[in-house]
Amino acid sequence: MQPPTPEPRPAYALFDGRPVMAFREESSRRTFIKGAALVGVGGAFVAYTAGDPRAFAQDSASDLEILNYALTLEYLEAEFYTQGLAGNVLSGRDLELVTPIRDHEKAHVTALTQTVQSLGGKPAEMPKFMFPEGTFTDKNMFLTAASMFEELGVTAYHGQVPLIQSAEILGAAAAIAGVESRHAAVIADLLGGDPFPAPFEANKPMAEVLAAAGQFIQS
Amino acid sequence: MKRRDLIRGAATVIPASIALQMLGTKFAFAQDGDFDNPVDVLNYALTLEYLEAEFYRQGNAASLLDGKAAQYLQKIQTDEEAHVMVITDTINKLGGSPVPAPEVDFGQAFASSASYLDAAYTFENLGVSAYLGAAPSLFAEKELLSAAASIFGVEARHAAILGVLLEKPAEGGVYMGATETPMSREEVLQAAAPFIVSTVTR
Repeated sequence: MQPPTPEPRPAYALFDGRPVMAFREESSRRTFIKGAALVGVGGAFVAYTAGDPRAFAQDSASDLEILNYALTLEYLEAEFYTQGLAGNVLSGRDLELVTPIRDHEKAHVTALTQTVQSLGGKPAEMPKFMFPEGTFTDKNMFLTAASMFEELGVTAYHGQVPLIQSAEILGAAAAIAGVESRHAAVIADLLGGDPFPAPFEANKPMAEVLAAAGQFIQS
Repeated sequence: MKRRDLIRGAATVIPASIALQMLGTKFAFAQDGDFDNPVDVLNYALTLEYLEAEFYRQGNAASLLDGKAAQYLQKIQTDEEAHVMVITDTINKLGGSPVPAPEVDFGQAFASSASYLDAAYTFENLGVSAYLGAAPSLFAEKELLSAAASIFGVEARHAAILGVLLEKPAEGGVYMGATETPMSREEVLQAAAPFIVSTVTR
């Protein structure tokens, strides 16, 4: 497999493309980059300092790699909602509807971590996240970012559906994906947006998801 | 091909049930023998989609809702109709015979806006569990699996928003926990039975 050519980091609308996620360990960053390299272009969106992440490229992602990819996205969501709810910008019904979302994302992190371990794998480390000032002090900014994360999460899970090799893992991933769809709909409704943008959920390959998540990654 | 055969292949990749155990979900596969082949799964889904589409057609025609609720349920009707069309097309392309729409009777569901929304909420959550329960039976057919999953996610959106419209509690009302719960074909058809007057599905 030809190594992907690193491309310049694209400008992102939401946070001006500022990287906001840092990996604690080189191995975790590599694991994440490995997923990116698998699909050819994603690695270009993950900043790296040493070594050649493209050396990890292979032909297809294993279930373990897919689970660690999902785990990294769930870490991002769990931390986002944890910090967001600590910001106290929501109240009443909004708060009631968003609080369980944080709890679900945390439960997904735990479940995915345990699943990776049960399969003999090493769970991806939680990256360090840094969200731009203002994200959690403005209700609209918080919910807008939440909507982006949820829709991204939905498309990420649906992109992996045909690639998962174990029926059990598929069932478990689907059981999580459905909940992400509920979150996406509720957040859209809170924002006055469209909770049902299409009759079918969209899907994105790992590369595209990592490109979108790249704005939260720092090394 | 029997579902049992599909699962057997997968079981050689990863020890059976390990992930499920660790996930602690209520995940359970459709009962062995629930479905004979992919067309059988699709016809099962088609029956449920027919049921939903006709439910919203009648409910929206009764003009019980206004404002955002009316707008949302109109959109949901369109979604269900799209599901009926796509599943029908798919069965045809596979050389199968799509089941006809079942004869339905929704009883007092359209007596009031509350009863309409309540019934809709029940149908949507049933649909979510039905798709999740049937998903493993499509495991070997990746295109069908992806398509079914993409419908499943939209049913989950519908279910959540109906919970919001009904002002249900967030957890256990709008959301059904951190993971969705699958239902077997038998459980689903039992739940749908009161609304189906006649059907050729099994």
